[in-house]
Amino acid sequence: MPRATASSRRASASQLAPPVARGPSAAPLLPQPLIERLLAVAMERGGDFAEVYVERTLTTAVMLEESRIKSAQTGLIQGVGVRVISGPKVGYAYSDDWDEPALLRAASTAAMIAQGGGSERSFPVHRAAVPSHYRVATPLMDVDVALKTGLLSRADKAARAFDARVKQVNASYVDQTRRIAVANTEGRYTEDTQDLCRMAVQVVAQGKNGEQRTGMFGGGGRVSFTHWDTFPPESVAREAARQAVATLGAVDCAAGPQTVVLAPGWSGILLHEAVGHGLEADFIRKGTSLFAGKLGQKVASDLVTVIDDGTVSSGRGSINIDDEGNPGERKVLIENGVLKNYLYDGLNAKLMGQRTTGSGRRESFKHLPLPRMTNTFLAPGDHAPEDILKEVKRGLYCATFGGGQVDITNGNFVFEVSEAYQIEDGKLGRPVKNAMLIGVGPEALKNVSRVGTDPMPDPGMGVCMKDGQMLPVGVGLPTLRIDNVTVGGTKVA
Amino acid sequence: MDYQQLAKKIVQRAKKKGAQQAEAFLEVGRQGSVRVHQGQIEDLTQSTSKGVGVRVLVKGRLGFAYTSDFENAALDHIIDQALKLAGAAAPNKLNGLPSGKDLGRFGDTGQLFDTKVAELPGDWKIKAALEVEKAARAEDSRVVAFNAVGAGDFVSEVYMASTEGMTGAYSGTYVFLYAMPVASDGAGLQTGYWVDYKRFLDDLDTPESIGREATRRAVRMLGARRVKTQQVPVVLDPLVASSFVSDLAAAANGNAVYQGASVLAPLKGKKLAGPHVTLVDDGLLPRGLATAPFDGEGVPTRRTPILDKGVLSGFLYDAFTARKAKARTTGNASRGYNALPSIGATNLYLEAGTKSPEELLREVDSGFYVTALLGQGTDPVTGELSAGANGLWIEKGELTHPVQEVTVAGNLLQMLQDLDGLGSDLQFRGGSVGAPTVRFRQLTVSGE
Repeated sequence: MPRATASSRRASASQLAPPVARGPSAAPLLPQPLIERLLAVAMERGGDFAEVYVERTLTTAVMLEESRIKSAQTGLIQGVGVRVISGPKVGYAYSDDWDEPALLRAASTAAMIAQGGGSERSFPVHRAAVPSHYRVATPLMDVDVALKTGLLSRADKAARAFDARVKQVNASYVDQTRRIAVANTEGRYTEDTQDLCRMAVQVVAQGKNGEQRTGMFGGGGRVSFTHWDTFPPESVAREAARQAVATLGAVDCAAGPQTVVLAPGWSGILLHEAVGHGLEADFIRKGTSLFAGKLGQKVASDLVTVIDDGTVSSGRGSINIDDEGNPGERKVLIENGVLKNYLYDGLNAKLMGQRTTGSGRRESFKHLPLPRMTNTFLAPGDHAPEDILKEVKRGLYCATFGGGQVDITNGNFVFEVSEAYQIEDGKLGRPVKNAMLIGVGPEALKNVSRVGTDPMPDPGMGVCMKDGQMLPVGVGLPTLRIDNVTVGGTKVA
Repeated sequence: MDYQQLAKKIVQRAKKKGAQQAEAFLEVGRQGSVRVHQGQIEDLTQSTSKGVGVRVLVKGRLGFAYTSDFENAALDHIIDQALKLAGAAAPNKLNGLPSGKDLGRFGDTGQLFDTKVAELPGDWKIKAALEVEKAARAEDSRVVAFNAVGAGDFVSEVYMASTEGMTGAYSGTYVFLYAMPVASDGAGLQTGYWVDYKRFLDDLDTPESIGREATRRAVRMLGARRVKTQQVPVVLDPLVASSFVSDLAAAANGNAVYQGASVLAPLKGKKLAGPHVTLVDDGLLPRGLATAPFDGEGVPTRRTPILDKGVLSGFLYDAFTARKAKARTTGNASRGYNALPSIGATNLYLEAGTKSPEELLREVDSGFYVTALLGQGTDPVTGELSAGANGLWIEKGELTHPVQEVTVAGNLLQMLQDLDGLGSDLQFRGGSVGAPTVRFRQLTVSGE
C-alpha cells in the first residue's frame, strides 16, 4: 500500500533485506531471440516504448540468536517483467514462469495499455558494454555458508566479551547475487551482476535497576567476501556493544530547538530524507514535492553541496546500470546551496523533456522502476571537526542514528538519534536518550552553519523504502553543525 | 496443477533425501493494481506469482530454502539446499516442526473469499480509481495534484504439508482503494492519505468517500505551523492509533520477551492500564484481512488477548519460541514462502470504547489531535516513543489550527497508564491492525 512518505533506516539484525542477486554462468538470462520476440509482442498494439526486464536473484541468509546459529537459508527468486509505455500511460505485467507461453502472455497483457491496431515490426537489440563499479572477485553465492555462519559466531563472542553488561546479541548476515538483463525497443540490451552483502549486529545491554539500551551496527557493500578481513565482525560487534553500553544511564532529552552537531557517516540519512526524496522526478513532475519548480533557486546554506553518485567503488548503493539499463551516474543535486538537478528515471525524464540520470531503480521484477537515490552524500567543507564541537556552548551531539522518514509534500522529516550527548562548553556531557530531530528540508539546510573536512561514507547498511519498494542505498556526511533544530524529547525545560 | 499434492510430494521427497522432518509452504497468487493521474491511467500492473519454501530438520538442525521455480529439477535443488544448510546450522533440541498437540483442528474462519472480488471486471479498478480522483478534486478547489490515486485487487492461495501430519489450504481475496491528494494555499503544500482495504467488495468504502476524506485531510493541514514545546493531552485518530497498537504488539512478541528485549517482559499478569483497555490478536476475526485457518507453520489460529481489561495477559508465540519459553504456541507464526516463520500479529485491535471521537476532543481544554506520524514509533526494548507528528491543535474542546514539524514523545508503559479515553470508532484502516480514537492524559510535544 503506497504511502506519501519515504523512509530509510539501517536494516536491522532481525530483518532480512529483500532478495537481490545473480547466477554465476555467463550464459544470457534469456535467449536474445526470445527477448526480441517479447518486445515485438509488447508493441503489437502500438505502444511508444517497450522494455523486457529479467531478474534472477539468489539470496543466502544466516541468523544468530542466543549464541547459536538459529537458521541458515537460501533462496531463488526469478522472473520477467514487461513494461509498455504509451504516452504517459504504463502497462506492466510480470511472470515468474520462464516458459515461453507464460512470458508471451505477460507481453500481450502489458501491450493492452496501448489502444492501437496490430503492427508487425521487429525490434532487434544490441548488447551494450557497461562500466564496473563493484569489487567482487568471487561471487558471494559461491562462498561456503560455513564461512558466513563463522562471521556471526565471531561477532557474538566479541560483543559478549566487550562488557559484562551485554545481555543479548542478535546477528545476521545476508548476501545476494542478483543478475539482471534489460532490453528495450530503442535497441539497448544490457546485463549486470550485482553482488551485495551485509552483516548487522544488535546488542542489548542491561544496566542498573533493569535499565536496557540497544546498540546496532553493521556494514557491507558490493564487495568480495574478503571484505570481512578488513572489516572484521569483531569490530562490528564491538561498535554495537559500545553503543548499547555507552547509552546506559542516559538522561531524558530536552525538547525544543537546539544547536546540533552530527557525527560523520551514517548521519547522511539526514540528507537522504531532508532533500533526496524530494528531488525524485516523479514527485517533481506531479508537483507534489516542495522542491518542484525550484531549480536554480537557493534551497540550502552556501556550505551545502549534495551529490548522488551511483559510481562509488563497491558502494552499497552503487549500480553499473540502473534497472532500466542506463549507466549509474554521479549527479550534483545542490551546489553551494543552489538546486541544480533532479533524479530522473527514463519515463519521468521523457515526460519532462529531460534526460535520465540513471536513477531508475526497482526492488525486483515485480515492481515498476521509480526515480531513486544511489549513494547520497554531502561534499566536505573546511571546518576542522574538533573546532565544530568546540565552538558550541550548549547543544546536542548526535553520534549514531536510527532511521528517518520524510513527507515530501510539506518537507517534514524526522531523524532518529540512537546515541546522543549533551554539549556543554564545547565538550561532550551526559548521554541523552530518546532524541529525535525534526525539520523541514530547505529550512534545516539553510541552518547548516559548519561543514567538516572529514567526509565519511556509511559502512554499508542502508535500506531505503519508497512506495513499498526496498532498495540498498549509501549515505555519507562530514561532521555537520545545524542551528536551531527542533529536537524531540520528553523533558520540558 | 494440484498444489496441495505438490506440497505433499515435496515433503515426501525431502524425507526420502534424509530429512527427519519437513514442511512445504506454498503460495500462489494473482494481482492487479492501477494508478491514475489527471483523469487517465498512469500505470496498470497485472501478474501471477507463486513460490514455495521448504523447511527441513536433520538431527535438530534447521535448514530452509525457497524458490519461485516449480520445475522438478528446481524443487529437487532447493530440497538439497535446505538439507545442506541444515548442516551449517547449530543443533538445538528445541528445533522442530509443530507436532500433533500443537496442530489440532482449525477454527472457523468464516468466509475469506469473495467471488465478486475474484471476478471483478477488468476495468473496475480503473473506473474506481478515476472516481476516487474525481471526488477528491471536486471536494476542494485547493487540491492541485496527487501523489498517487489507485486501486488494486488480489487473490492468494496458501497450501501446506508437513511430515507431522499437517495438511491444509485456504484462499482469500483482497481489494483496496487509496488516495493521496496534495493541496496548496499558495504558500505551502500539504498531503492527505486515506485508504480502504477489505476482503469483500461489499465491505469496501465507496470511491467517492475515499477521495473526499483524503482531500479533507489534506486541506485541513494547510497553514500548519509549529507550537510551543509543552506537555498536553494528546489524541490519536484511528489511523495513527493503529501504529501505537502495532508497537504494543511488537513489545508482546514472545521472542523479544524471552530475550528480555521487551519492556513488557517482566510484567505478565500486571495491571498496565485501566479496565477499559483490551488489546486482542484474533486470527479468526470474521472477514479480517489476516484471518486464516492456520498460521505460517500449520498451527490453528485463535484469539489471544494481550491486554485483558488493562492486565497484561499474554504474549504472541510461534512453536519454536513457545518451546524455548515453556509456553504454548498461539498460532502467531507469520511468513511468506520466502521466509522462515517468525512471530507476527494477525488481526490486532484495541477494543472500542463508548465515547464518540468528538466527545473525547470536547473534554480537552488544550491539546494535540494527531492525524499523521513520521518515524518508526516505539522502541520495544525501552518502551520509548519519539515520533514526528502532524495534526490539529485543540482549544476548549474544538479543533483549531493545523500543526506540523513537532514531535510527540513518551514511554509505552506511561502511555498505557495515561490512556484515559477510547472512541467508539474502531476501524481497520488499510491493514489488519485496528484502533479507535485514543486519548492520552499527557505526552511531551516538542516544537518551538
